[in-house]
Amino acid sequence: MSKRIWQHPEVPADETTVSWRSVGQLEDTPHFRSWMEREFPQGVAEMANEEDAEVSRRSFMKLMGASTALAGFGLAACRRPESYIIPYNKAPEWVIPGKATYYASSMPRPGGAVPLVVTTFEGRPTKVAPNSLHPDMSGTDAFAQASVLDLYSPSRSRTVLNNAQASSRAEFEKVLATVAADGAAKVAFVFGHDDSPTRARLIKDLKAKFKAAEFFAYEALEGTQVLADGVAQVVDFEKADKILSLDSDFLCLDGQGKTSAFFNRRKPEGAAYDKKANPDSMNRLYVVESVYSMTGGMADHRLRVAPSQVLRVAAQIARELGVNAGSAVEAITDEKHLKWIKALAADLKASGSKSVVLAGSRQSAAVQQIALAINAALSSAAVKGVKRDTSGLGNFDGLVEKLKGGAIDTLFLLTPANPVYDAPANAGFEAAMAKAKTVIHLGSRTDATAHKATWHVPVTHYLESWGDGRTLTGVYTVVQPMILPLYGDCVSELELLAALLTADGKLITGETADGKPSPAYDAVRATFEAIGGKGDEPWKKLLRDGFHAKSTYESAELTAAAGTISAPPAASGVEVIFSTDGSVYDGRWIDNGWLQEAPDPISKISWDNAALIAPETAKNLGIYDEIVQLETERAAKSPDAEGPQRTGPLIKVKVNGEELVLPAMIAFGQAENTVVIPLGYGQGFDKEDKFNRNAKGNSPASHVGLVGVNSGFNAYPLRHSETKYFATGASVEKAEGKYPLALVQEHFAMYGRALAREISTMEDEKKGDFAEQLQNVAKQGNDAHAPENISLYKQEDKKGDPHLSDKIHQWGMTIDLSSCMGCNACLVACQAENNIPIVGKEQVMKGREMHWIRMDRYFAIEKPEAGKEKDVFDLGNPALVPQPVACMQCESAPCETVCPVNATVHDQEGLNVMAYNRCIGTRYCANNCPYKARRFNFFDYNKRNPLIAHNLYKGPFGEKQVGTAPHLQRNPNVSVRMRGVMEKCTYCVQRLKDAKIRQKRGQKQEVLLTGERSSQLSVSNETLRIPVDSVKVACQEACPAGGIEFGNLLDEDKSVMGRAKKSERNYELLHYIGTKPRTTYLARVKNPNPTMPDAPSIGKATIHMH
Amino acid sequence: MANFFPRWTNFLPLKIAICAGAVATGAVFAFTYYATPKTLAAGYQPSQPIPFSHKIHVDQLGLDCRYCHSFEDVSGTSNVPGSNTCWNCHQHVRKDSPKLQPLRDRMDPTLKSPDFGKPVKWVRVHKLPDYVYFNHSAHLNRGISCQSCHGDVDRMETVYQKNSLSMGWCLECHRAPENHLRPLEEVFNLKYDPQVYFNEHQAEMQNLGVKKPEDLGKVLKEHWNIHSKETCATCHH
Repeated sequence: MSKRIWQHPEVPADETTVSWRSVGQLEDTPHFRSWMEREFPQGVAEMANEEDAEVSRRSFMKLMGASTALAGFGLAACRRPESYIIPYNKAPEWVIPGKATYYASSMPRPGGAVPLVVTTFEGRPTKVAPNSLHPDMSGTDAFAQASVLDLYSPSRSRTVLNNAQASSRAEFEKVLATVAADGAAKVAFVFGHDDSPTRARLIKDLKAKFKAAEFFAYEALEGTQVLADGVAQVVDFEKADKILSLDSDFLCLDGQGKTSAFFNRRKPEGAAYDKKANPDSMNRLYVVESVYSMTGGMADHRLRVAPSQVLRVAAQIARELGVNAGSAVEAITDEKHLKWIKALAADLKASGSKSVVLAGSRQSAAVQQIALAINAALSSAAVKGVKRDTSGLGNFDGLVEKLKGGAIDTLFLLTPANPVYDAPANAGFEAAMAKAKTVIHLGSRTDATAHKATWHVPVTHYLESWGDGRTLTGVYTVVQPMILPLYGDCVSELELLAALLTADGKLITGETADGKPSPAYDAVRATFEAIGGKGDEPWKKLLRDGFHAKSTYESAELTAAAGTISAPPAASGVEVIFSTDGSVYDGRWIDNGWLQEAPDPISKISWDNAALIAPETAKNLGIYDEIVQLETERAAKSPDAEGPQRTGPLIKVKVNGEELVLPAMIAFGQAENTVVIPLGYGQGFDKEDKFNRNAKGNSPASHVGLVGVNSGFNAYPLRHSETKYFATGASVEKAEGKYPLALVQEHFAMYGRALAREISTMEDEKKGDFAEQLQNVAKQGNDAHAPENISLYKQEDKKGDPHLSDKIHQWGMTIDLSSCMGCNACLVACQAENNIPIVGKEQVMKGREMHWIRMDRYFAIEKPEAGKEKDVFDLGNPALVPQPVACMQCESAPCETVCPVNATVHDQEGLNVMAYNRCIGTRYCANNCPYKARRFNFFDYNKRNPLIAHNLYKGPFGEKQVGTAPHLQRNPNVSVRMRGVMEKCTYCVQRLKDAKIRQKRGQKQEVLLTGERSSQLSVSNETLRIPVDSVKVACQEACPAGGIEFGNLLDEDKSVMGRAKKSERNYELLHYIGTKPRTTYLARVKNPNPTMPDAPSIGKATIHMH
Repeated sequence: MANFFPRWTNFLPLKIAICAGAVATGAVFAFTYYATPKTLAAGYQPSQPIPFSHKIHVDQLGLDCRYCHSFEDVSGTSNVPGSNTCWNCHQHVRKDSPKLQPLRDRMDPTLKSPDFGKPVKWVRVHKLPDYVYFNHSAHLNRGISCQSCHGDVDRMETVYQKNSLSMGWCLECHRAPENHLRPLEEVFNLKYDPQVYFNEHQAEMQNLGVKKPEDLGKVLKEHWNIHSKETCATCHH
């Protein structure tokens, strides 16, 4: 079933932008062609041969015949099965069956708590959303959105383990009681890097009770702390006109301040689209980094250098600015780089206190000190220091030292990290830990540390426990439970500390036997009394709002601990970057199916990690051809004898005396001579593993659940204390074999011209100045000359009403590419809201992922004229353009006209609706969708667990997952789709329905208040129209960048979406084919500095897919 | 040679064809009639763990629907009361009735029944498929009474399903809601009769320009701006 091929005109001669999604496309391999032309790759829709298939056609006929015959006998008992309605015995107050209740809470994170509003149905949390009342609200990221799944995760730890053997809570309580009774006990506590005022208070009490107690904090990727103990830097992006990031991913994985202020200033019309487009209102972002990060993708100017060179660049910038820091560091000699740095320094200087330099937390102390020195010299107004409550905690090295010295008898590991797995390989943590008599590990997974500890105690999820936290700027934020702990053995950190503080060490969790709240509640309340005042009023307000407004951190001096900046050692060999993973972070999310399946925002790989190598380096190493070739080759048959398999060739990376064999992938925009290995994978393997990695017994399958098993390669053993984030002197060589990779970068590849559009605030010879470029946004690509399409279909129904006849609501959406960074938050939020299943690695490889939002990621570069390649600043540094694509809700939808059963039709409000129960699965609609926005349920992903090997292919004999915990997460207002039906974005129609019905009810209340007879009342369209922008769709709500606006087109200018549509940047995706989409895009604006050497090539990354 | 087949057999193939056609048509009709919700679902009357009588409580005692189904005009789902609602009265009334034994077991701690604190498992009578979204409040707040779907519940000794609840049946009303609309004040009045209402509210009817009881629905539909939808997403999402 090939798609209809739209004959695109030849590429115009003056078109200089080359754009691509994947290395396969750049090299124009036949395999990629097939992805472009087909809805699904060849062979995906068919079983490869009949013998391998579950039932052949012949036996299917036999079975059907037999069952029809048998049905005759069965008819007599054809009565509907009895089902029950089970109400509460004593109905609790405030619970209305069938209606969601929302609570303010927050998720504790190392970078500051994330303020949330949690949706619960009959006391069952199903979805989290950012708390828009909160002053530090900055959307949510994919991790926060996916965290609700962890509550119901089947692989969640739920029983107490003693030396990795099942034990009981009663046994553990005895141990705890003996510790609590002994005030002289040599105890030590290791916390995470989240900040909890209650915990800080309890630590003081613990210090008083246990005289010999020691306190530490540890997380695997905690970064380098150069500021004084407990001091952190907070950035106010509203005050930052020019931002230089020295390898700081401050927009995503390395948060340093509220990012919404940054994104607001990426929109030239202002955050609410209420001003005239003004390039001067935009900020400018410079990024120096080694490998593409989300922040790097947003950069106006990006310099790619190897990690060892970041310090040199930083020192050079300081030198240009006349800052006396890092003068011992060798100067930059590369002409191009020098020019880049000079222009940058001049720009920073010109903006003075409105400039800010941010160093990545993973960078060395030297780079961070230089950044601090530059900020001080510029007297940057955007940064300030704050004093967190976490001061006084020892670091990891101190912990290991104390353990080795035998100063700790009882060790409480309360950190969310997994030190046995993720501590530096040469730190000897495991051996040191063995010296403690008792190690008590509190964790949500039975990971490596849980198995090595004397006691493992399952921890409660943050949605089940009382707690508190502070956001980045220190606003006091409460963590309140939505539900009692699902499993009786679970203990929260505060409950454990509270138990230690009692004389008898009695552990009380959840609630007491006589219904009193947990001791954590009392502890939090006591802490809050000191902050927000006594009595019920402030407490109730805290619970309602989720935060206490008048609380912030005390400010602190931003001075680095003294230390001279010496020149870095000369780098030799290949440099290795141990990167924080966008899906599993440091490895803690490995058992979260949503995150594992969400493709990495940059590399677009799901379910695994792989070594990323820049194309030039790969060529030098002699593996480029192999990668490109193998990516396109199809293995003869996959284990299920079905569909294609994509593989990556294996390479061997040797560094720090260790070696790791893992598949390699080409990454663009990465510094030459580097290899990136994302951390956090390879935690457990079972016998299905291709490399038999569990044979050594060090990573057994019991360390992970079904989601994380056999997933990826563990790079932690390569990491030493001195080289936690970057290592030099590595060697890379080819290894035997290849490894299947679930790469989604070519899946659902669209083609067409000017898909994502980009303009620049800088004047261009051909394209004119900003105003002209702005005007021409809607005329980019084919839209400049393609004639308007004429519809052959009637625009009204039989009665003569127009199809889009509703006069109350007409829905529409805008997606602003200028603020979208492509972080996957929307994708995961959509999955949570709309009951979208995960399908597992095997199915993803076949292009059957179910995500309604496809996060396209394009690369683009300006093609130099022949002979002028040398003049181009950096050919290996293409622009990165993300573009989320979901159903566009076309007014003239091509899918609707081809459905043989009218399962997808239009409603009067402009929604392209999908009736699942009517769909018979012809997939014609998906074939006719030019945006490739439709997804097909090839299997019963919701019912049969796709993660059990070969389970889907067993049909009715496959293992079911109905009734297990993950089903409690489902949104009750969205149908759970079955096998054989098509699905796609619905604009969260369930939310729209809810809002409309609420509005109608409000109207009735009004009538009753006036006291008139209801028949006298006349209800107008305005009464029935929901308030402007009062309903938010899931992706819009989650977006940390404010990139998605949704609303009623009939609200016109009153709606933010309506104003965005009026912007000159507004354009329709594939306008020229005449689908009239309701979702439109706003072109990306780059704000380059005209004096920079790379400026002429910035802001031209308009994506054409031919 | 003698004729093997007598003359009457000439038309035999035609007769067989006609008969077979008639049988097939009959079978189709029989199937459509007997195997559709009209006969399969309508009339379903399971027995309940406690033989609760709507007739006694609503018709004779005059309880409002919302005393027990307290959220039906607030939420999408019309709630079935918790045992505590029953207990409000029945800890004082009919204390010895054997029919109420299951309730006492659940609510009275002095009986020390193993069922104490457990909910009552009511048998579901009206069931829509999972892929259908029906919202009670959307209907009740716009002038559609309980009666329109559930029939004369107030007169039912044991609740049974009156209507088929099939999609065609839903659409019948969505296409012509005026046949079921009534003033909001009358939505929970299960003894509502348009004729009686018309007679009792002459002035109001004149005001509205309603000449006969049947017209009231049409006028209300216009006044209240009711456009009941027929698109799929109205009920399926």
